[in-house]
Amino acid sequence: MGSIINMQRKHAIVIGGGIAGLCAALELARFDIDVDLVEKGPALGGHARSLTCKATDRCVKCGACLVEERLQAVVENPNIKVHLGSEIMEVQDSGGFSVVISNEGKSTCSCEADAVIIASGFSLFRPDGKPYGYKRFANVLTNLDLERMIRMQGSVKRPSDQREPEKIAFIQCVGSRDAKTGHLWCSRICCGAALRMSRLIRSRQPQVTISVFYIDIQSSGRDFQFFLDGLRNDVRLIRAIPADVFRTEDDRLSMSYFDPTSRQSKDEIFDMIILSVGLCPGDDLKGLCSLFGMKLSDSGFVTVSDKTEYPEKHGVFAAGTVLGPMGIAESIASAGKAVWEAIRYLKI
Amino acid sequence: MTKPDEIMDLSQIDHGVFRSFPFLQDHCITCGICSSSCPVSGIDGFDPRKLVRLISLGMKDEAVDSRWPWICTMCGKCQYVCPMDIHIPDLVRAVRSMRERDKVPGILHKGLEAAIRTGNNLGLPKEDFIFILEDVGEEIAEEPGFEGFTVPIDKDGANILTTIHNKLVNTHTEDLKHWWKIFYAAGEDWTVPSDQWEGTNWGLFTGDDQAMKTMVGRIADHMDRLKVKNLLWPE
Repeated sequence: MGSIINMQRKHAIVIGGGIAGLCAALELARFDIDVDLVEKGPALGGHARSLTCKATDRCVKCGACLVEERLQAVVENPNIKVHLGSEIMEVQDSGGFSVVISNEGKSTCSCEADAVIIASGFSLFRPDGKPYGYKRFANVLTNLDLERMIRMQGSVKRPSDQREPEKIAFIQCVGSRDAKTGHLWCSRICCGAALRMSRLIRSRQPQVTISVFYIDIQSSGRDFQFFLDGLRNDVRLIRAIPADVFRTEDDRLSMSYFDPTSRQSKDEIFDMIILSVGLCPGDDLKGLCSLFGMKLSDSGFVTVSDKTEYPEKHGVFAAGTVLGPMGIAESIASAGKAVWEAIRYLKI
Repeated sequence: MTKPDEIMDLSQIDHGVFRSFPFLQDHCITCGICSSSCPVSGIDGFDPRKLVRLISLGMKDEAVDSRWPWICTMCGKCQYVCPMDIHIPDLVRAVRSMRERDKVPGILHKGLEAAIRTGNNLGLPKEDFIFILEDVGEEIAEEPGFEGFTVPIDKDGANILTTIHNKLVNTHTEDLKHWWKIFYAAGEDWTVPSDQWEGTNWGLFTGDDQAMKTMVGRIADHMDRLKVKNLLWPE
């Protein structure tokens, strides 16, 4: 589809420069809509920019590469103005939206918009309160910490001494499916991410053994059963969530779990423990939604109307993980959907 | 009971059996963190996840007749880590309460029965109890700085009433001395009842609410009778 002539130039604000916001901005720009893309961080790309490609001998469709080409396209697009280090300060209903954007608290600018797409993303669950010693033991990391490490240095090394680990454990569902933290949802991406990551590590560092502690594995993708069957020779899958982690005198990690096969409690030694932490509503989502007069669901994500994917506020649309946990490909699709709704709303 | 590996007749399962239990057992997502955290998992095939599932499936006879609820120490760590906040120790207690009293494991059953009948788990006669207290009191009085120490038994109008754990007048008499020395040093006005002094309340462990009420009632009666304002109940 080529660009469609937009007789009365319309103006939109996209909040959030992660994968959903980038895609929404690009789609809007294709309809000759002027876009102000407001990102609170110092760079575009969001969480997805930290993720590492998980291809082994072939692409495993993890989606990590999808962010970079869109990032480039946004920067080069004349219809998109990028505001980094910026936040929405004020919103006034003027038929459309009169919005004040603050740049690092130093300067402000105003703009008028006909539609707004909220794509401010998610926050990762902070696992400090779980009994796994996160932040207390250097070799207990989150899945995102591990992604960043492999993206930066290409292999896994223990943060405490930069040595290659012999044994790694993944713990799934940390802060997901958890009524005590108010996070009853499945975060949907962590099973696939942990298993792809396991295979990536095994292909690059074959001496490393990997155990994945899980409740039940969420399937992802059409080839999932084939993928999982192939993985069983490579990775130990244990159906139990462990309880305690202690540091041993020689700086390894002792973890207790109930082994469902032997039906015994075990204390097993690992070199690194990776916590697959859940996706939670963004820290600033509540404030943002109250600025735009939108409702949040009980879970803290954006509520959508029964009939469509957009929130029940005229001219405001939501894309990506503000709607709930989703992966990169789904976020891209969600951005497309939000733009489609916006286009219809703007009668373009 | 049915061994876990025996094939069960699924048509016999009735999920409604424990519907009145308010412990959220049906919220279990079988993650197993309770079993991973439990200090007695693996003993005689017990682990909390399995017990919660038995209850959730309504397998009443299997749960009530099993040793499993009695292996639990009710320490509560499972509930602390449970992501669904299932009240596992309360659930264990409720299952214990469903067992015929004569089939409650020996030491708990006999101890509680003795407490209800005699006022303490040991069935220790009043004269023997007073003799032990006074004997320990005399030992304290021989220590420098504690001259003239005596044990104020059944003292009217004292500021603090304290109860006694049966093991303190049985195998651990030395441990009586710590509190008493603190009372002495603090110039505290305290007392201890001469009978029905038992501080433990094993109805907690056997799931016997009536017994618990009786034991608590006795302490309340002491407070009224001796006109004591404060209770120190170290159990």
